Amino acid sequence: MRSLIVVAAALAIGAFSPALAQDAYVVGITAALTGPPASTYAPAVDALRIYIDRVNAAGGINGKKINLIIQDDSAEPSKAAANAKKLLTQDNAVLMLDASLSSTYAPVVAEAKSAGVPLMFASSVCPKEVYPPANEGQFCTTAFASTYDSRAALAFIKETAKEPVRIGFSAMAIPLSRGEIDFAESQTAALGMTAVDKEIIPPPTADYTPFATKIKDANPNWVFSWAPWVTQVRTFEALRRLGWSGDYIAWAHLEAEGELKRIKDNRLYVVGANALFEDRLPIQKEIAEAAEKAGGKYPPEQMTEGWIAGMVIEAALKGAGWPATPAKIQTSMQNLKVDLKGLRGGAIEWTKDNHFRTKQYYRIYKWDGSKVALVKNWFPYDVK
Amino acid sequence: MQLAVNIVVLSAIYALIACGYVLIYRVSRVLNLAHGELMMMGAYVLLATASSFVGSPVVAIAAAVVLSLVVGILIYVLLMRKMTGEMVLAAVLTTVALGILLRGMIVLIWSAQQQYPSQALGFENPAIALPGGGRISLFAAILVLVTTLVYAGLFVFLRFGRWGVRMRAAGQNPLLAAQRGINLHAIYALAWGLSTLTGSMAGMLIALDQGLTSSMTIIGLKAFPAALVGGLDSLVGALTGALIIGAAEVLSIQYIDPLLSDVVPFLVLIAMLIVRPWGLFGTREELDRV
Repeated sequence: MRSLIVVAAALAIGAFSPALAQDAYVVGITAALTGPPASTYAPAVDALRIYIDRVNAAGGINGKKINLIIQDDSAEPSKAAANAKKLLTQDNAVLMLDASLSSTYAPVVAEAKSAGVPLMFASSVCPKEVYPPANEGQFCTTAFASTYDSRAALAFIKETAKEPVRIGFSAMAIPLSRGEIDFAESQTAALGMTAVDKEIIPPPTADYTPFATKIKDANPNWVFSWAPWVTQVRTFEALRRLGWSGDYIAWAHLEAEGELKRIKDNRLYVVGANALFEDRLPIQKEIAEAAEKAGGKYPPEQMTEGWIAGMVIEAALKGAGWPATPAKIQTSMQNLKVDLKGLRGGAIEWTKDNHFRTKQYYRIYKWDGSKVALVKNWFPYDVK
Repeated sequence: MQLAVNIVVLSAIYALIACGYVLIYRVSRVLNLAHGELMMMGAYVLLATASSFVGSPVVAIAAAVVLSLVVGILIYVLLMRKMTGEMVLAAVLTTVALGILLRGMIVLIWSAQQQYPSQALGFENPAIALPGGGRISLFAAILVLVTTLVYAGLFVFLRFGRWGVRMRAAGQNPLLAAQRGINLHAIYALAWGLSTLTGSMAGMLIALDQGLTSSMTIIGLKAFPAALVGGLDSLVGALTGALIIGAAEVLSIQYIDPLLSDVVPFLVLIAMLIVRPWGLFGTREELDRV
């Protein structure tokens, strides 16, 4: 009889403990908090943590707290896979996030798909599966978007250049950076530009000068780089040290605003989809205050990406109600509109077929000699 | 000309890092797999001293150099000394654990953000025009100079210095050296100190030239083939190996495919292991069989 009671008790604990433990929305994230590209992802994750803490301090969502579980994958696919498995099977995450290099996507997508949990890319590049017709379980809040970014950068070069464009390219040796630069290169002929060189640079490298030397030798008057910030900026600085004086346009990663101020070069442009803090928007003030209060490790201007992810998670969970299941959250995410209060050119709007946004807006900034200045205001692309 | 400058700079980076691997290996036969992390830590220590001694860059650099030496000695005294008498493999695994610990600590203390010690010290890094049309940044030129001085200093120290001769003796036959009254623990501590110092100097100069991120440790790993190609117990070998690896990498970027630059050092290493497993200047007799 006693053993029967023990077995019954064990069964009862086994059957009910996940539900008991799940008295909060469990959101799991695998992120490159360390490793070569960490400077692009870690600030976003820190911002997300601050945002979620703020939501929890204000009473949570639908009366329930959010339990954000962060796992570092060092931008390594094997670690990301192990993180995803742990978050989905042991922690019972109802929403999975990936904030890491594109090389981590395949294993994380596979784990999320097999667990039936929606996967959101936040601060990591949006994969093609989130564009129309979107994969039902994948979503993306990140500003940068393959193909659209190159189109925006090349359109700006075409409209700005006063002489025939000889363009060089620089990418990091990771799948999406290479793919994007290959795409950009393929567009040049149609735009009347001449592609003169393309350097795919391994991460990280001890000295960027040999790569920059090759670009300089090809004599471009423009260089476009779409890669993690470290590759973009170090290639640029190596080019300048070699005496190259052309125009350089790079993606406006989180570090861009601080780096434009440090470098102070008025021919270094950044193209991006997030408003820089030079705009001094009320929400940017709110982010800065929250970061200061929480003792954030990163400057507030690096927190936009994570803040936007937080806003979207809050809206998605609100829409899903309580108790939340992955299916309910996925349904909520498939019909979502979040006003970003000026942090981007428009709202994040997800539909059943579009898990990216219906319009992607870009801005161009540069150092104008005394401050970071807007060169070209929001210009949109319809996402079809 | 620029090609030659690029080869010299990259080789100097690898040579300065590689001599740290050699110093420890030739004295104690321990392969320090935390050398990349110690190099990176040197750069972060400079960042810390730069913010502690604002307006006094010379003091900040001197403090960072001294601290690096002390850190190396402390690692031996507090950690590696306990491995004395254990299998070499155990000591090597301890350095792996040390590397993981340092990587984590660095991100916790300084975050993953890109840092610029030169900015903190108030230094500019202008490009210097060389005869023949080549250009080199100021800190890259200093790195080449420091590498030359370090190797020259080490050659003199090991050949003529009392402690240098003791280090060589301890490396050749520790038992006999101990019987002759040489304090092996002091010699090993000195080797760890010097190795960490040279690695840290490489880290500091790379960071001053290009900036600093927590991924710098991988550069330390990329210098490892230079030490192996030259022969792990030979400083001349480390210098030659660095030159071979640096040249192979730069030439592959220029003439073959930039992507190959990541692989070429290891291709050279594999070729060397097949032809001459003890390296160009390494000691054949001292190698353990696999």
